Amino acid sequence: MTNPDSRQVEREAAAWLARRDRADWSAQDQSAFDAWLAEATGHRVAFLRLESAWHEAGRLRALGAGAASGRIPARREWAHSPYFASAVDGTIAETRHRGAAGRRWRVTGGIAAALLGMAVIAAGLAWWNGAGIERGVWRTALGAQQVVHLSDGSTATLDSDTELAVVLSRRERDLELVRGEAFFEVARDPSRPFVVHANGYRVTAVGTRFDVRRETDGLRVVVTHGLVRLDSAREPARTAAMLPAGSIATVAGTEVRVQHVPLELAQEYLSWREGYVVFHGTPLADAVAEFNRYNVRQIVIADPSLDTLRVGGNFRLDNGAAFVRLMQQVFPVRAEQRGDRIVLSRRSAERRD
Amino acid sequence: MGNPLDDWFVREVLVHEEALMRFLHRNWRDHDEVCDLRQEIYVRIYEAAARQRPDSTKSFLFATARNLLADRVRRQRIVSIAAVGDLEQLNVLNDELSPDRWLGGRQILRRLAEALDRLPDRCREVVWLRRVEDLPQKEIARRLGISEKTVEKHIAKGSRLMADYFHGGSGGGDTRVQAQPARGRMHEP
Repeated sequence: MTNPDSRQVEREAAAWLARRDRADWSAQDQSAFDAWLAEATGHRVAFLRLESAWHEAGRLRALGAGAASGRIPARREWAHSPYFASAVDGTIAETRHRGAAGRRWRVTGGIAAALLGMAVIAAGLAWWNGAGIERGVWRTALGAQQVVHLSDGSTATLDSDTELAVVLSRRERDLELVRGEAFFEVARDPSRPFVVHANGYRVTAVGTRFDVRRETDGLRVVVTHGLVRLDSAREPARTAAMLPAGSIATVAGTEVRVQHVPLELAQEYLSWREGYVVFHGTPLADAVAEFNRYNVRQIVIADPSLDTLRVGGNFRLDNGAAFVRLMQQVFPVRAEQRGDRIVLSRRSAERRD
Repeated sequence: MGNPLDDWFVREVLVHEEALMRFLHRNWRDHDEVCDLRQEIYVRIYEAAARQRPDSTKSFLFATARNLLADRVRRQRIVSIAAVGDLEQLNVLNDELSPDRWLGGRQILRRLAEALDRLPDRCREVVWLRRVEDLPQKEIARRLGISEKTVEKHIAKGSRLMADYFHGGSGGGDTRVQAQPARGRMHEP
């Protein structure tokens, strides 16, 4: 295959872009350009890459609005424009979220205090009369799920093979995810933060919905409503991240990655509550691990080369057998029953019919 | 440019360029070749998507990148099979899981402003007048007292430099890439 220097192709693409940008671009130019594009996919992708950035650059007009024509601003001058006035470093999005949320909390807190004065007093009396602290430990078996209603009005939905320890006191709501995965719907109570501890990290919320899942050396947090703070219990200041709805935070060891996805996609991570799971190009190894969280009959991949096959679709979590059957139909996979395990290996002749 | 495949490519593939460049810089010792690798990956992705769009673009992009690096390693015959096996162990997950490029309009604007500031003086002036003030090339040439051909050249150059930073982030350019310690694990015999 001829592999022309990509820089040369990019220079040609840029020359076309600049020429097309001229006022005297003709029909002849257009057909010459079309021919160049059609010549090689490499031409086309190089041009698309330049053109999309060039097109986006039109957004810079927002910075020129109100400025005198012909005056080109100094470098970094834009940082003082109204768009960036509050931004000091690269963390604008986070500080913004925090600021806005803080205001909301104060306002709603005030209204709540005014409206619910009577109720608060009544609840307070009940609290003082009671033990003052509520403790409990909930465990689910493999394949089971349980909804736990806490006395503060919050609920925790425990997934298969999960253990959750809860301590509710007057000052705080302290939970520890010892094992597994749970989804929390938190009753709003600004005076008592709701903190879930897992693998050395803290996930803090006031009134919101989020999911925490413990992994071998970390955890995963999915936020579907409100705002959640994630930090390491050891180094809270350095590691704090604010997670708005649609965030998926993955912690592995000391490393925290945050993705922001559309809300529908975040919701898919919670489909286990309805008893199914959604895969999008998920490696087979991960898909199998997911089923093994729910079923006594464990699926084992004997041939590591199968790990990277990609799986897509919706599956019932309690029906690992159906999943295995489907794998045999679409992939060169053979399944064998050995005791209480299903062993997947590669079919020797890769027939696909 | 209007056709659905082109739109898909811009919307779904190019947003991952920063993660892709980080992956390539980390796993390929010869940084001069990284732009060629990126280009070839894009060609493969585009041609594959013309037949069928992948379920997950990001996974597909990284799978394509891994395959390409593996092909290159085999072709160069520099490494043993054991080292190619090591390719599976490459620390791609960190790149695959890295945040998507931007959260919203403000970040896009910031990134564009930073891209603009990286341009050489004259080139930056031309891009500003063309893209922000929307002056025709001819008028820009008149104002700056330079030829139209020169304006056109600045626009060509500006579009390349802007694209490198806009899509690829700080690791995107040819020339301004910070020297990174080359791991070179794939080249070791």
